[in-house]
This record gives sequence, structure tokens and C-alpha cells, in this order.
Amino acid sequence: MFKLFKTILKAGGEVTVKYPFKPLEVSPGFRGRPHYDATQCIACAACTSVCPANALTMETDLASGERRWQLFLGRCIFCGRCEEVCPTRAIALSEEFEMAVSHKADLYTTATFTLQDCRICHQPFTPKKSVEYAMALLAHSGLDQEAVEEMRPQFETCPACKRLQNLQSNSNLKLRHNPGRENR
Amino acid sequence: MSLVETQLNQHVSIPLAPDEHTLALKTTLLKDIKRSAYVYRVDCGGCNGCEIEIFAAITPLFDAERFGIKVVASPRHADILLFTGAVTRAMRTPALRAYESAPDPKICISYGACGCGGGIFHDLYCVWSGSESIVPIDVWIPGCPPTPAATIYGFAVALGLLDQKLKAENHVEQPGETAALLLPEVPLHTRVVIEREARLLAGYYAGRKISDNLLALLPGATAPVLAQRVEEWLHRENDPRLREIVQQLLLTISGQIKRA
Repeated sequence: MFKLFKTILKAGGEVTVKYPFKPLEVSPGFRGRPHYDATQCIACAACTSVCPANALTMETDLASGERRWQLFLGRCIFCGRCEEVCPTRAIALSEEFEMAVSHKADLYTTATFTLQDCRICHQPFTPKKSVEYAMALLAHSGLDQEAVEEMRPQFETCPACKRLQNLQSNSNLKLRHNPGRENR
Repeated sequence: MSLVETQLNQHVSIPLAPDEHTLALKTTLLKDIKRSAYVYRVDCGGCNGCEIEIFAAITPLFDAERFGIKVVASPRHADILLFTGAVTRAMRTPALRAYESAPDPKICISYGACGCGGGIFHDLYCVWSGSESIVPIDVWIPGCPPTPAATIYGFAVALGLLDQKLKAENHVEQPGETAALLLPEVPLHTRVVIEREARLLAGYYAGRKISDNLLALLPGATAPVLAQRVEEWLHRENDPRLREIVQQLLLTISGQIKRA
């Protein structure tokens, strides 16, 4: 009995948190609401492909040339996989935990990005921001800024058209209709 | 003889809708609530993680009972129904029975990631992905599971004591908007090598944070200055594992270790 009282005394009076009246301090490493910085996002879809709960989704609308990114917080399991893979640090889990809502629409975060039209076939193929980011990375990696800018038409061409261009214009290509015939 | 056409609609769940009288009653009651609210939790086929957090919320540490929020054992005593779980086929009917047994007016809360939108189970064949497919929901509490503090906050939102903080956000790309480069002062190759090494050593999530912290110390530092900055950081963190990893990374930076 005395042991019990001793334990109670050791616990030091009041242990109940003051939470709703005072802000609650969460432990370090707490994984709360994903904070999304849309200006930093290049719509590369890395987060949407790793999200185990499909809380992050992305859809491409070729007709309007837009890509729509969406976070449905209600489905998020706060695993932090999106933060792990984001190449531009656009999404990171914050320490915010007060997420209850009375309107379901408030659980959605969306962002719309414009797609780059191919210079040759004029079809949208990738987000504009990702092209810009790739060029900036090339410049950062040591290439000359002007040399990168000179290659812009190449970056703004879709892979299929690039392949076609290579086939048509490259005189070094050795195309054989029956490869391996000589060895027979 | 022709067979009677059977309508196959068992795979569609139409949520119950409260009548207008109940709704009016609820708004008047919520406007001036002066008594305790009893909570009954309805498990619609969850993993029990949410239940553990609900019971954590009524422990002395968080003590939801100081606000008169009490978890009761029968839906007939309940004012608030907490629906946890992704609503499996088998648990749909028991959940509906619990809803019907609770006296009107009642507040329904969708609790946890599974309750709000099906969570990781949202596209399974045997779930209705979310409690809003069976009952009218008033408040959504996301989280997997929601922490006790988030639970208390959710109750407060449900009872109209606190306002919700979350707002829907929609960003539309502006012309000329570009993503900023990370650490423009650090050479790209160095950043890639260090980040890869750190993720290899510390795991994917922690490794990135360590490499970001370390690389942020690099700009404009000579060797002794860097050593001093790193020492300050390590002293602050006071973690031998971090020290080991950072030393390895520093060796990598100085080019003494090369990984294929």
C-alpha cells in the first residue's frame, strides 16, 4: 500500500496534459499533416507512385494540357514515403495533428500544372516545370548556361518525335533489314 | 416463361439519411450543449489501432473524461458514434444496427484513415471504403490512427467547441513558376554522392535529413571551419549513431572512400 502511495507521489502531482487549452508539444520525429509546397513541385509523380494508400493521385488531361495533383488527407496514413522520394522537397510531413473537419471537401489539397507541348507533334508530354528543372540541374552540374539554353528545342520535344528525328536525320545510323544474315 | 428480373444492387451501399426533424433537433441541441457527451465506438472492420488510440484518449494522461466525454458500452446510451475501420462486408450490418439503436439526435464521426476514405484498404473487393457509405457523417478525423490529442480535438470540433483549422487548398500553376534548386552552392555531384551514401547508411528517410543537414553546413567553409560546425551540430544532437554516419560522410566528401 505504501509502495503505491510512493509511486503516486513520485509521479509528481498532475500528469494530465493541458492540451485543448494549451498547444501540445509533439515528440521529435512526429509525422503529422503533409505540408505541400506547390511552387516547388515539378509534378514528377514520384510521390503518387509510392503512396501506399493512394492518398496522392495525379491525373493527366491531354485535352486541356494539364496535370492535376491531389492529396486526399482522409486516406493518408502518414508513412512519409512521399517525403522520402520527393526530389525537390516539395512535400514534407509537418507536426500538425489537428486535422478534424466537418466538411469533407476540406480534406483535399489540389494543384494544377501545365504540360509542355512537343515542338514537333504539338502534343503535351511532360510538365513544363519538370523541363525547366531538368535544364536548371544540367546548368548546375557544370554545363554552360547558354549551351543548355541552346538545347531547349531538344528538351521540348517528346521522346517519340526525338526517336523519329534521330532515324531520319542521323547519317551514321547503320540500318540493316536482316541483321545476322552474314553470319549464316 | 420468363424469369423475374433480379436487380443486382448488393454491391452498392446507399448511406442512411437523417430526416429533417432530427437535423433541426441536432442543430438546436448543439447550439447550447450543457451536458456530457457519451461516445460509443463502432468497429466496422478495422485493425484495432484506432480503438487503442480511443482508449489512450481516456487514460489519465489525456483524460477526455474531464470534458464529460465518456466511452460507453451500449449504443443506446450514446450521443456520439465513432465509426472506425473501412466498413467490411461482414461488419456493415452490425454497424447499421448500432446506428439504428442509438437515440436521435446523434453525431457520427468517421475515425481514422480507414473510416475517412478506406485507408490502405480502399480498393479491396470486400470493403465499402469509408463509413460515409453507410451513415451520414458529421465530422472526419483523419490519422492512422489519430493521436489521442487529435481525437480530443475531433470531439471538440464535433461538439462545436473548436473550429476546424484545415481548409481545402487549390494551387494553379502561374506562368514563369519554377522550382528552386536545392543547395545551389553545393556542387550537384557532391550532393548526389553524399545523399546516396547517407541513405545507404542511415536508411532512406533519416539519410536524407542527415545529408541535408550536413550539406547545409558546407557553403563557404574551409576544412577547420567545417570541422567546427560539424562538431557543434553533433554535440547538439548527442547521438553516437549520427556521429558515426557523419564521420563516414565527411570521409566521402574528402574523397577517401569511393563507392562504385
